[in-house]
Amino acid sequence: MKKVIEIKNLVKKYGTLTAVAGISFDVRKGEIFGLLGENGAGKTTTLEMIEGLRKPTSGNITILGTDISTGITDKVKRQIGVQLQASAYYQFLNLKEILELFGGFYNIEIDAMKLLSSVGLENKAKSLIKALSGGQKQRFSIVASLVNDPEIVFLDEPTTGLDPLARRRLWELIANIKSQGKTVILTTHYMEEAEVLCDRIAIMEKGKILTMGDTHKLIEKTKNPYRISFYSTKIGTKTEATLSKLGNLVNLLGKSNHFEMKFATQTNLNKALLIIQKATPESLIVGRASLEDLFIELTGKAMGEKNA
Amino acid sequence: MLKLLFADIKMMLRNRQALFWMLMFPLMFTFIFGFFFGKNTTAGTIAVINQSQTELAQKVETSIKDSGLFVISDEKNVETAKSLIKKNKLSNVVVIPESFGIFAPDSAKKIVVYFDPGNSQANATLTGFIDQILTGINFSVQKATPIYTVSQENVGSSNALSYFDFVLAGILGLALMNSSIMGIAIGMTKYRQDQILKRITTTPVKTWWFIFGEVASRLMLNIVQISIILIIGKYVFDAHIYGNLFIIYIMAMLGAILFQLIGFSIASFAKTTEAAEGMATAITIPMMFLGGVFFPIDSLPKWLYSAVQFLPLAPLLRIMRSVILEGNSPFVNPINITLLLSWIVICALISIFRFRLTEE
Repeated sequence: MKKVIEIKNLVKKYGTLTAVAGISFDVRKGEIFGLLGENGAGKTTTLEMIEGLRKPTSGNITILGTDISTGITDKVKRQIGVQLQASAYYQFLNLKEILELFGGFYNIEIDAMKLLSSVGLENKAKSLIKALSGGQKQRFSIVASLVNDPEIVFLDEPTTGLDPLARRRLWELIANIKSQGKTVILTTHYMEEAEVLCDRIAIMEKGKILTMGDTHKLIEKTKNPYRISFYSTKIGTKTEATLSKLGNLVNLLGKSNHFEMKFATQTNLNKALLIIQKATPESLIVGRASLEDLFIELTGKAMGEKNA
Repeated sequence: MLKLLFADIKMMLRNRQALFWMLMFPLMFTFIFGFFFGKNTTAGTIAVINQSQTELAQKVETSIKDSGLFVISDEKNVETAKSLIKKNKLSNVVVIPESFGIFAPDSAKKIVVYFDPGNSQANATLTGFIDQILTGINFSVQKATPIYTVSQENVGSSNALSYFDFVLAGILGLALMNSSIMGIAIGMTKYRQDQILKRITTTPVKTWWFIFGEVASRLMLNIVQISIILIIGKYVFDAHIYGNLFIIYIMAMLGAILFQLIGFSIASFAKTTEAAEGMATAITIPMMFLGGVFFPIDSLPKWLYSAVQFLPLAPLLRIMRSVILEGNSPFVNPINITLLLSWIVICALISIFRFRLTEE
């Protein structure tokens, strides 16, 4: 696979604060690459250095063969599309006018209506930004990053704050961008989103990359890849003790009869299933570990938890 | 890149806040001052009740009525007229007594003026005017000619000028100042806050093109703005414009550029639009009064005047008045144009070194 972005030992310091502490990774042509991590992990700083918005303290960034470590070139600007985190657009221009103006920034003629209909906003062509819902705003923000038909698209937390339906709609849109042969780099703090969308991910914490690789392979590498979730009122302390020997048993937060178990091997999973079935559970779900489990394992905490 | 220019103009026309500062605010002042001090304005409404039939009384009555200084009510009853003063319908009542103008020792010699203490201006104008008529009459009765008189000579120019003319030039400066400082300071801060400026730096468009679009589109609307003020001033309120229109517009554009640069300087320091608005207001409101929009600042206490005469608006207004009212060249007083250009250089330097499109 051809590498479209190569990052080597990238560092960004603000005074004594190190936002990005020497990270290296590559992004391959045509993939969706995810930068994951909590707020403040350094995802956006990393992305903005690649977009040419921030100057790296040290390290190298190469985009499509051009080294932009010391400053981005107009040639590269024409090859990339950028969607900024929570970015607003002109409040007194309608959607069609904004896209046409952005086309003007690239000195190209664009078919604004075609772009808008590609994200289902053709009926909003004459609307102002303030008349859009959260999901529509994000879809517009993404289509605005596509006006120059870029090879690489940067999406910074594209689904933050959206409801589940709007989020799924956006996933389809992002997958569609990939199917056009474009490379997508996105940041997110939704593990589910990364699991669904990203071919490869890098998990960041405190400016460093904790782990990186193909999404499905990383999930398989978790210590406890098997999982059971069940609800039963007949689990006594004795049964609980037996189960605990097979795997990691926890009560779901605040619910005394709803349990979750994680297992390192399938043998233990099967043994536990036999015991649980005797307790006639009202609900029993067998599944596999998720990216979130990997993340908790790596960082020692759940997403959104404050540093203890 | 005309696209950017047109888009900028379109946005400003759709922005009610910008339009308010651009047009409504200065027009409000133009109309207010126009109605008070423009053409057809009078000192007040008065009733002239002439109870005498003499030629002299008739002469006084017609002189007052034909002076054009007052609106004349046709009220003929003294008591009703006096009650109308209390109701604020009349400012003065002039009563010429029955025997006024009859050459007899016991005839009435005094014209009575009833006045409203709340309208001292009308009263001063009226009594002064009647005094003048009577002085003339006194001289002619005594067959005397005045020996000592006052001769008024205007050193500025021989042009007929009114207070409205003075204020209109001030309003031009006010309009340029408010729309440019407010517009750029708030607009740029909002663009940065909304990350629009950051978003634009990810495109190949040059920063200076972006700035140029903002500045040029505003200057174009400034031309419309001052044209409207000048047209309304001249054709609705009979303002006098003696200067060369081309020079007036050039000076107005210089002023607009200065105020836009002040706007950029504010946007260099303001983090939020609220802060930008606060800073812009804190600069424009005091400057509106201390820069000499409504009254000549040389009537301020000397210590204050020696400071405020250097405010950015002050030299601009001195130039505008000198050009508009006296038809002078902007270089007639080189200190003013030097001050104006110095301010432009200072604010340009602040903007160049401090103003950033993005946070970093």
